Amino acid sequence: MRFFNFLAAAFAFAAVSCTLDKTDYEAEIGLEVPESYEFKEAVSLNTGNFKISIDALNGTFYKGYNELHLRILNTQTNQNITDSEVTFLPVMTNSDESKTSCPHQYAMKFDAAGKYFSGYSVFTSESVAGSSWKLYLSFTADNQKYEITKDISVAKQDNKNLNMTAFTGKDGEQYYIALVAPQKPKVAENALTAGIYKYNKPTTTAGTFPDPSQFSYSEVTGYTLKLDPRMPEPSMGNHSSPNNKDLTQQNDGLYHGVVNYTMTGNWTLNMILTNQNGLIVKGTVVPTDFTPGIEGVKSELYIDTLF
Amino acid sequence: MKYIILLLFLAMSANAQNNHAHHDSIKNLEEVRVKNAAKKKIETDMKMAVSVDEFLSSAANISFIKRGAYAWEPLLNNMTTERSTVTIDGMHIFGACTDKMDPITSYVESNNLASIDIKSGQEGSLHGATIAGSIDLKRRSTPFSTERKWNGGYQTGFEFNNKQFFNLGNVSYSSNKFVADASISYRTADNYHDGNNDEVKHSQYNKFNTALGLAYKTSELSSVRFDAIFDQAKDVGFPALPMDLWLSRALITSASYKQLFQESWFKAVDTKVYYNAIEHYMDDTTRPENLVHMDMPGWSTTYGLISKANLQKNTYSSEIQLNAYDNLSIAEMRMYPQDRSKRTMFAYSWPWVTTRFAGLSMNNFWDISEKSQVNLGGSLGVNYNYSKFVEFNWIFHPGAPQEKTRILPSLHAGYQLELEHFNFSVGTGYGERAPSVSEGYGYYIYNSFDRYDYIGNPDLKNEISQELNASAGFRNERLNIVGKVNYFYIQNYIIGKILSMGSPMNYQSVGVKGYTSLDHAALFNMSLNTSYNILEHLHWSGTLTYARGTDDKGGNLPFIRPLSYLTSLHFMHKNFGIQTSVNGDFEQINYSPEYGEDQTPAYTIWNLSADYTFKINKVRSTIQVGAENLLNEYYSTYADWGNIPRMGRNIFTSLKVNF
Repeated sequence: MRFFNFLAAAFAFAAVSCTLDKTDYEAEIGLEVPESYEFKEAVSLNTGNFKISIDALNGTFYKGYNELHLRILNTQTNQNITDSEVTFLPVMTNSDESKTSCPHQYAMKFDAAGKYFSGYSVFTSESVAGSSWKLYLSFTADNQKYEITKDISVAKQDNKNLNMTAFTGKDGEQYYIALVAPQKPKVAENALTAGIYKYNKPTTTAGTFPDPSQFSYSEVTGYTLKLDPRMPEPSMGNHSSPNNKDLTQQNDGLYHGVVNYTMTGNWTLNMILTNQNGLIVKGTVVPTDFTPGIEGVKSELYIDTLF
Repeated sequence: MKYIILLLFLAMSANAQNNHAHHDSIKNLEEVRVKNAAKKKIETDMKMAVSVDEFLSSAANISFIKRGAYAWEPLLNNMTTERSTVTIDGMHIFGACTDKMDPITSYVESNNLASIDIKSGQEGSLHGATIAGSIDLKRRSTPFSTERKWNGGYQTGFEFNNKQFFNLGNVSYSSNKFVADASISYRTADNYHDGNNDEVKHSQYNKFNTALGLAYKTSELSSVRFDAIFDQAKDVGFPALPMDLWLSRALITSASYKQLFQESWFKAVDTKVYYNAIEHYMDDTTRPENLVHMDMPGWSTTYGLISKANLQKNTYSSEIQLNAYDNLSIAEMRMYPQDRSKRTMFAYSWPWVTTRFAGLSMNNFWDISEKSQVNLGGSLGVNYNYSKFVEFNWIFHPGAPQEKTRILPSLHAGYQLELEHFNFSVGTGYGERAPSVSEGYGYYIYNSFDRYDYIGNPDLKNEISQELNASAGFRNERLNIVGKVNYFYIQNYIIGKILSMGSPMNYQSVGVKGYTSLDHAALFNMSLNTSYNILEHLHWSGTLTYARGTDDKGGNLPFIRPLSYLTSLHFMHKNFGIQTSVNGDFEQINYSPEYGEDQTPAYTIWNLSADYTFKINKVRSTIQVGAENLLNEYYSTYADWGNIPRMGRNIFTSLKVNF
């Protein structure tokens, strides 16, 4: 009898024990991907009676695409200025004192719904010793133009899904591609958004610094960004996914497509940028073979992501 | 050739499957168990100490996909386990391995089973929706007895080829009010050697199993029973797969209440609730050729209810069964980069898939006359699936529904006739089944047979089977012949087809296949069993089976057994017995390169064993010595995964003690 009791107790014990824990998938997805959807003040500056504040996601300027919300507050009246011509120009001074800019929206637009002036800046490098970013802003209020400058700090982009790349196209132009969304991809078809910009080579000689014509960038229109996402890790053997969609430009000026991630891990977005006439501006076709043990060959034009 | 055999067979006759339920003698509890013609003793003609797999393989309509020496996947009527229901006392249990390394039969041991009940086609729909039929593993349960009794048994043995050593013990106690059954077993085996005496690496296994059953009589006509099985396999090699098993554990529990009715035509109601949990952890670190390390744990948890009633009135009898269960299947893949400091890659191969099923089944029998009987049965089930992380399914099937409900009807009818020594039966059936978890929701499940990654499709249609079966038999004092045929016409037959999109994920894979429905497929099975008593102590028996499976384009289906035979002689004298058998398959003519098969040549195996039974005091003991594959033939069968060679000559010894 005691024997059966002992066995019964042993079964009761077995019923409550489990050997290995299951993966907490929701936590897993969020693990390595910092995500920020909240606009916070990244910088503020004062001139005269005005306080200007620029909001960015997470209150930080990151390398890559930054959506910017700018507010001008009249400290006398405690009212936000809504009717103004606002210009925005970021300039980086390199260690050799040369000055460059990055894709940005020079003339900011007023957003009535949010009561701010909206724009963007695609910072091409983070602030390090010897190279620093400075903002050159101007706005009008009461028929008067105000100009101000402010040193800012651009932080490293921790979210690889917001990576960017800069390159010279076959047409000799300087291009920039920056990922805008998704910040936090899923194992799923993800709507992929990117901004594509080019540097407008100055046609006139430089005037007084900062001369916007020397630092002019524009959104590239009517191009196509062909997409071939793959896992570069040798163990993944050049694994890819079905149902991806090339990126084309939509009304918001950004390029939209679909990237289908089949699993978490390192991915490379292999790209080919073609112009309105279908000519390749940059990028190469990558092999589609499954090659286990060999690191996947990347296109000339690619952006690495991770989630 | 096959037509001659078919004609031969149709011309013959014998014991039809007169295996419907008998309920006449329900007088007291121990007689309540409704027995179908099941295999009675867990032993084969050749071997008295067998594993569950070896025992099952002695049934004519069972064949096996073998991935090694352990956990063979049973094929019923040449159909894989998705198409059959495999249950333990009617309880549904689902393996936790995406690669089918753990069929349900691997979670029991021969000493906790009393019999195995195999039903072909829709006759097996009592336990739930099926196409191929059902395999019900019946647990040992000792009846109540008027006086206190202890019974026990012990088996031990050693097999030389793979140094398998096993010890199986069981003990039971019965009294008027209380019954207890317990068993415990441990098997351990090294790598086996093939017919060329080469070691087949990664074919070792270690299995521990214990079971406990306790029953109390709550009144003269009612009882409660608690059952539990705990099974643990550790360090099990699968030579045909790119990985092994580190650990699998199963806990299978149930509690049941049985009520008998004496005066009513309602004879018995047996209601059982059950719970089982399986965990299964693969291990590929034992394979240095794998450049990629991958963790593939799986979990399967099932809750269920079975309620069964037996009815009888005059010449009519019936069994009605309610089945309900809820299963959650989870399987993960975590791949490690070569630089281990980098981020791992993760995906679900079963993205938390819930399957809920509820169905009512019924089997009715009418004795039309002394000689003939009609049976009519059917079931209606509702199958519900839910994929928690449906985004994995959306990769290949954008917008596929997260939930899916299917209605699964089934109907079958049969007629049996007995005339003097002859015996005939005919039957027909209609049934549907829902896709399995892998077929519906699997994600990059690597199949090392055709080396493709498989993707499930949540939108697959129900598989619909129409079947015909017939049997004919003849029996007299010396000769017994039974021939059986069945034919399945299966619409929406689910099978993997190469996908033009997607690229492989698993290291050894060559491409991606998606589960798709063929318009139809057809399967034909036949078997012929003959036994003949040559002398009083000398018996011969023979079995011949043939099957053919074709897809909608007339191509061959995979894993269809070629023409196979078994012939055996059994001689007994006093306490001494000797038996020998020859079995084999003919050349596989109808193989399917499309589904990864190559042609398997014919083989013939010769086995021999001898046993001696003696009594010391009241203890009955039998020793047996024998050899399987005596001529050390090097062979592999049509269903050996990756053509791994089977075991070469294996000398086995065993001792069985019963008291």
